[in-house]
Amino acid sequence: MRTITLPASREDVASLELGEMVTLTGPIVVTAGIPTHHRIIEHIRSSTPTPIALNDTAFFHLGSYSRETENGFEILYMNPTTSTRFNALMPEIIRHFNLRCVGGKGGLDDECARALRDVGGVYLSFLGGGAPILSAAIRKIRHVAWDDFISHYRLVELEVEALGPLTVAIDARGNSLYRNLDDGAAQKRAAILEQLAQRRTTGQ
Amino acid sequence: MTIRDEHIFEATKDLYSWALRRVPDDTKAALARARESETNETARKTLNMMLASANAAETADRYVCSDSGVPVYFVKIGTKADWNANIKSAIQAGFAHLVETIDPPLLKHVTNPLTLERGYQGKDMPIITYDLIEDADYIEIICSPKALGSGRWAAMELFTFPTLETIETYILDVAIKAGSQHCPPVVMGVGIGGTFDYCAKMAKEATLREIGTPHPEKLVADMEARLYEAVNALGYGPMGTGGDTTVLGVHVNYAAGHGFTPVAVAFNCWINRRSRARIHSDGRIERLE
Repeated sequence: MRTITLPASREDVASLELGEMVTLTGPIVVTAGIPTHHRIIEHIRSSTPTPIALNDTAFFHLGSYSRETENGFEILYMNPTTSTRFNALMPEIIRHFNLRCVGGKGGLDDECARALRDVGGVYLSFLGGGAPILSAAIRKIRHVAWDDFISHYRLVELEVEALGPLTVAIDARGNSLYRNLDDGAAQKRAAILEQLAQRRTTGQ
Repeated sequence: MTIRDEHIFEATKDLYSWALRRVPDDTKAALARARESETNETARKTLNMMLASANAAETADRYVCSDSGVPVYFVKIGTKADWNANIKSAIQAGFAHLVETIDPPLLKHVTNPLTLERGYQGKDMPIITYDLIEDADYIEIICSPKALGSGRWAAMELFTFPTLETIETYILDVAIKAGSQHCPPVVMGVGIGGTFDYCAKMAKEATLREIGTPHPEKLVADMEARLYEAVNALGYGPMGTGGDTTVLGVHVNYAAGHGFTPVAVAFNCWINRRSRARIHSDGRIERLE
């Protein structure tokens, strides 16, 4: 299994194959909030820099529990959230910031896959219910921005070591496991229904 | 001794905490079986990570998932139980206490549907349903914290005099719509018949049934077996990145109804959060899972 060092080079990202598993080491930016995505888009449209630079970054749909201590913020745990909730918002964000890696769980739609193809980025699938494993990869909290939001909506920059394994689910050429699986299920549907009908008549 | 508020309070907060930290035994066993039978290498690795995450959470006493969901309790009161308790307010107090004391703290997931404001408390929270168990001398409480990840994909449709073909096609199509997104492999609960409200409840309760326990009636057990194979044949696999294991079990409950037949489908994600305690009439709290 390959380890990708972040920020990832264009070549590293381009070489990732669908279904391949990787781990990540380096800086990542995470959030799980729709309001956060809206605010990012406001910054894009008003040409105002975001408090955490997002150009060429690894930007993930991960919710985290952050709290402020005497020594700054600490993160108690983190875990992916469903990326498809952000389908309508991601293409603009991907294209504007040339996002090299995005991810979460459940995938993104075709329009997002096209945006990833345009910028040469990938979508990485995280393990839902992987909080103990994923949280153990956190090495440093670099920045917690927009703490007017509830914890998991904040924009958080972390440094991670061997985060994962993560599955390459949309590659830098716009190929998508999610598209392939949906097409596969649609193709198999008639045969599966036929099989169900046969088993009903044979009493199974 | 009698079952009193403090017993309900204790059971309520402990059940929620247990459900967040421990994947039930039947579910771990089903994941381990799937790991053996999977033909897709990525799927096998993902199942392996799931089991590793479940074990890590249990060993370190941490949450499996960061999304603790909203609190959902099923209270089943034995008709011969000796009790004198304000069950509803004791459960509310138990959950409120849990929120203040649990380590690590929970994220704010209870959402006002009209304002989208999120917190720890809200109208009608926790969600509690009550049933009776004839002749039992205890109160049983099941806790099933529920979050968007798999909760979002539940669906219901009302048919008139549907054939089994219509019903099974609908169930398959609900599974296709959920696709890769509900943290598979899932437990799929199905309710057929009854009324609108009762059907949804049957589907939800079906998700709580132990994996590998078929419905006692052959007609229904056969339907469960063929739907299990049908949904797995779709190929979505663990975490929806491909494989043979999209469901760990399809559990169907049904009830008689009128000619209009509701069909409801509900999902539990792979961590299948579920905890259960029995409060005996002497106040003893027995943890069942």
